Amino acid sequence: MTDTIPQVTLKPLTWTPHLPPVEIEDATPRQLEAMKVTPSAKKVSPYVRTLAHDPDSYVARTVLFNAIMYAEGGLNRADRELGALGASLINGCKYCANVHARQHARLTGTATTSALFAGRRDALNPRDAAIMDFAEALTATPPTADQSHVEALRAQGMEDAEIQDLIHSIAIFGWANRLMHPLGHSD
Amino acid sequence: MTAVPDAIDQALGIAPGSPLHALRALRPEFVSGAEACRAAVLHPEETLDLSPELRRALARRVVAWAGHDRLTDGYPRPADPALAALADGEMPEDPALAALARHADLIAATPAKAGPEHLSALQEAGFSVPQIIALSELLAFACYQIRVVHGLGLLKETRA
Repeated sequence: MTDTIPQVTLKPLTWTPHLPPVEIEDATPRQLEAMKVTPSAKKVSPYVRTLAHDPDSYVARTVLFNAIMYAEGGLNRADRELGALGASLINGCKYCANVHARQHARLTGTATTSALFAGRRDALNPRDAAIMDFAEALTATPPTADQSHVEALRAQGMEDAEIQDLIHSIAIFGWANRLMHPLGHSD
Repeated sequence: MTAVPDAIDQALGIAPGSPLHALRALRPEFVSGAEACRAAVLHPEETLDLSPELRRALARRVVAWAGHDRLTDGYPRPADPALAALADGEMPEDPALAALARHADLIAATPAKAGPEHLSALQEAGFSVPQIIALSELLAFACYQIRVVHGLGLLKETRA
């Protein structure tokens, strides 16, 4: 195929909560402590302040999220981002899809995300296609992922330890998407 | 690595010595992280007036969508009839529990369709903003568990 897909550069979106977030001046000591658990703590985003209403789950989830997306070794970062993107597209989380498409593009260039946003699944390389197929099937309710998906990933040279990382990056967006999308809107 | 099997080991039916258990042990931070999350959504320090019984019933309703029996069994069926209806996927008579049941099904099965009107429905049913956030985390955690258990289950015949 010689046709070319226009390369898109996605602009960041802004997320606005449907429910009133915690205001810093009203925050309890535990909420204040919880809100520090962010990669860059300079400014506390409306998202963090919304979820800080329940400090226990916020802290625990953030620790797990960071382990899954940033742990050393194993599956490369771009493939984790693609798993996150696949889940976010199925779950209808525009904001998460935008963030993780941009992360993927930053790591490996815009070819894959441009193809996806143009609806050109046929233009994905075989590894990305296997990852997207698996992400979609695992994200479905109930999940429809089966042995054939795992075999397709293995055929692309993925070790089981890497597939385990991919499973977790898809699963953690089965969680994050169900917060970000239902609790707010983005534009 | 802990000697006690965690909720995901139990749902997968695996024990130390199995290849899948060894695979999980490569990522101890995923194992301990998920257990910490489970504790945080089921019995947090700040309960926000949501009982552990209600939380477990709701989690059982959500994980049942996946049909992995051992995962569902991780959330024992409540003795209380109203909570049992919630846990069993029925529509509870209590209006607040019914609102919760409807929201749980929406989030579990069709999260893309969720909108602000669904949060308003929970508020009208009497749930506070912090309670809605805590319940959202709980529902979404159960959805995370579904994917981890389903995905890792596919690696059971893991290669050396």
